Amino acid sequence: MAMEHLRWRPTVNERDFIESALQSDLRVDGRRSFDFRRLDISFGRGCVFVEWVVIIDVVAVSFREDGSSEVQLGETRVMGYVTAQLVPPYRDRPNEGTLAIFTEFSPMADPAFEPGRPGESAIELGRVIDRGLRESRAVDMESLCVVAGKYVWSVRVDLHILDNGGNLIDAANIAALAALSTFRRPECTVGGEDGQQVTVHDAEVRDPIPLTIHHLPIAVTFAYFGEGNIVVVDPTYKEEAVMGGRMTATVNSNGDVCAIQKAGGEGVMSSVIMQCLRIASVKAADVTSKIRTAVEKYATEKALKKVKRLPASMSQKTNAPDVTMVDKGDDKLGSQSVETLSDVQQISKDPSVVIEANDHEDAKPMITESSTEVKTTSSSGAAVESDEAQEIRSPKSLKDAIKPKHKRKKRKDNRS
Amino acid sequence: MVETGRADGRNPNQLRPFSCTRNPLNRAHGSARWSQGDTVVLAAVYGPKPGTRKGENPEKASIEVVWKPKTGQIGRQEKEYEMTLKRTLQNICLLTVHPNTTTSIVLQVVNDDGSVSFHHIIAPLQLTSFVSAAVAISCGVMENGAVILDTSKAEEQQQLKSFAHLVFPNSCKSVVGLKEPKQKDEQVERGLITSITHGVMSEDDYFNCIERGLAASSRISEFMRNTMQKDASEAA
Repeated sequence: MAMEHLRWRPTVNERDFIESALQSDLRVDGRRSFDFRRLDISFGRGCVFVEWVVIIDVVAVSFREDGSSEVQLGETRVMGYVTAQLVPPYRDRPNEGTLAIFTEFSPMADPAFEPGRPGESAIELGRVIDRGLRESRAVDMESLCVVAGKYVWSVRVDLHILDNGGNLIDAANIAALAALSTFRRPECTVGGEDGQQVTVHDAEVRDPIPLTIHHLPIAVTFAYFGEGNIVVVDPTYKEEAVMGGRMTATVNSNGDVCAIQKAGGEGVMSSVIMQCLRIASVKAADVTSKIRTAVEKYATEKALKKVKRLPASMSQKTNAPDVTMVDKGDDKLGSQSVETLSDVQQISKDPSVVIEANDHEDAKPMITESSTEVKTTSSSGAAVESDEAQEIRSPKSLKDAIKPKHKRKKRKDNRS
Repeated sequence: MVETGRADGRNPNQLRPFSCTRNPLNRAHGSARWSQGDTVVLAAVYGPKPGTRKGENPEKASIEVVWKPKTGQIGRQEKEYEMTLKRTLQNICLLTVHPNTTTSIVLQVVNDDGSVSFHHIIAPLQLTSFVSAAVAISCGVMENGAVILDTSKAEEQQQLKSFAHLVFPNSCKSVVGLKEPKQKDEQVERGLITSITHGVMSEDDYFNCIERGLAASSRISEFMRNTMQKDASEAA
C-alpha cells in the first residue's frame, strides 16, 4: 500500500514563503544560513533528566547501558545503540573486526515511513554513514581481533529514527558516533592448551574496554535553493521538501574529507561546493567538541556512580528522600525519617569525594518537576502492599531499594 | 517480613519507580515515553487515517501496531507482542466511533529491563490519545513460592519459576474533572483484559498474582490519572 499520500507536501504558499524568505537571507525558524539547530546528546537510559531514584537503582545493578545514545537535533530525534558479539572474521581479513550499521526508519518518525523494507532514503542514509564511519577507518578494526582467523568482535550499530524533523543524516551520524564513543566491549582473554580458548569476562569481573576511535567523522548536510545560489546548513523537513538539491559532506576536525554525497538534484557551481566544504570543516570542529564534551560528562557521571558503591556513601543518600515525602504526612513516616537522619549523622565524617557526589545527588530531586516537556514522576518509591494495614512508607522502601544486596543485613540492625 | 532477596533490594510488592513524559515527539500525533526502573519504552500514535487494511472489518476502526526492538531483526516475539497488544486495545477502545479508519501505533524499546511487553505498551498509550482504561502489571512466582511484582530482566531470566503479564481495567471511571476523595474501599472493576503467562504455576499462585496485580494497578492508574489531570488543567 503506497503511503505517498501521507508524505507531507508543502502548499504553494508555504513553498513561496520559504523560498522568498531565503532570498532575503532569512530562514523560517529564525536561524542564519549556516547555523545548526540545537544539539542535545544524552546517554544510557535515554532520559535527559534522570530522577534520583533511578540513579539509585543503577548502583544496585551493574551499569550495562553503555553504547546507547539519543540525539536531538532541533526536532529530529535519533537513537543509537551499539552491540558486539564474537564471530569468525571474513576470509580476506582474518585479523580485523567488523562494523555494521543498521538504520531503522521507524514509522513513528513520519507517517510516510512504512514498516518493513527500507525505502530509498533509508538505504542512502545507511550508506552515507557507513562510508563515513567504516571506510574512513574511524574505528580501529584490528584492536577488535581476539584470535586471528577464528574470533573477532563484530560491532553492530542500530540507528532508530524516532522523529523526522529534517536532516536525518547528520543527526543519525552524531548518534552513531556518540554511541560508539560510550560503548564498552567485554574484556576477553585467550588461553587454554592450544591458545584458542576464549573467555569473555563479565562486566562485574573485569571492566569492559572502550573502542579505539581515531577520529570523529561528522556529516554536514547542505540544501540548495534557487538554482544553486542559496545554500543553507541543516535543513528542517519543510526546507527539505522545498529544496532543489542537497549535498552531505562528512569531514573530521582535522579537515579531512571522509565522504561526499551529492545524489542528483540541481546543478551547483564548483566554487559553491568548495565553499561548502570549508564551512563543513568549521562545523565539524564545533560538533566534535560538543560530542566529546557530552561523552566526557557521561563518563565522569559513571565514575561517580561507581564511587557510591561504598556503604558509608550509600546511607548518605537518605537525605534525598525528604524531598519526596511531601505528600505523605503520617506519624509513622515522621518517626522513620528521624531514624534515617540519625543514621546519617553517625557517618557524617566521610571523605570529601563522597560528599561531593552527594551534593550532585541532592540537586537532582529539585528538577523532577521542571522539565521542558511535560514530565511527571512517581512521587514515592511506589511501594505497594496488598495488605493495606501495613502500607510501606517511602523512606523505608527507598532505603531498601538503594541498598546493595550484600549490605542489606548490616543496615537493618541499625534501623530497628 | 521474609526477605525474598530481590537483586535490587526491593520488597516483593514494590514496584520500580516510574515516570512518564508526554509528547516528546513532534511529528507524531500523540506520543509518550514511559519508564519503569530501567525499562523505557517510547510510543507514538498516528491516526485515524482513512481506510482499513484488507481483512479488517470496515465498520469498525482498526488498530495497527508496530513493535520495534532495540536491536536485531523483527522476529516472532515481536509479532506476538504486536498481536497481543492489538487485541488488548481492541477491547479497550470504542471502535465504532471512527469506522473505516486505521490508527497506527508504533512502539520503540529504548531499554529493556524486564516487564517490557506490557506496562510500557499500555501506559504510554493511555497518555497519548486514548483515555486511560487499562493498566498492566507483571508478576512472577519465585522458586520458593513467593510472588513478586514488577519483574526485572534478571529476575525473569534467572530466578522466576514462572511469570505472568496481566492487564486490568482501570479502577476509576472519570479521568478529568472530578476530584473524588480516594476512599479505601472504592468500587473496583474486577476483571482481567489480558493475561499471558510463562512457565508453570499453580492455580493458587496465579490467583495470588492477580490479587496483587490488582492492588498494584490502582497505584499506577492513580499516577496516570494525575498526569492526565495535570495536562488537562494546563490546557484549560
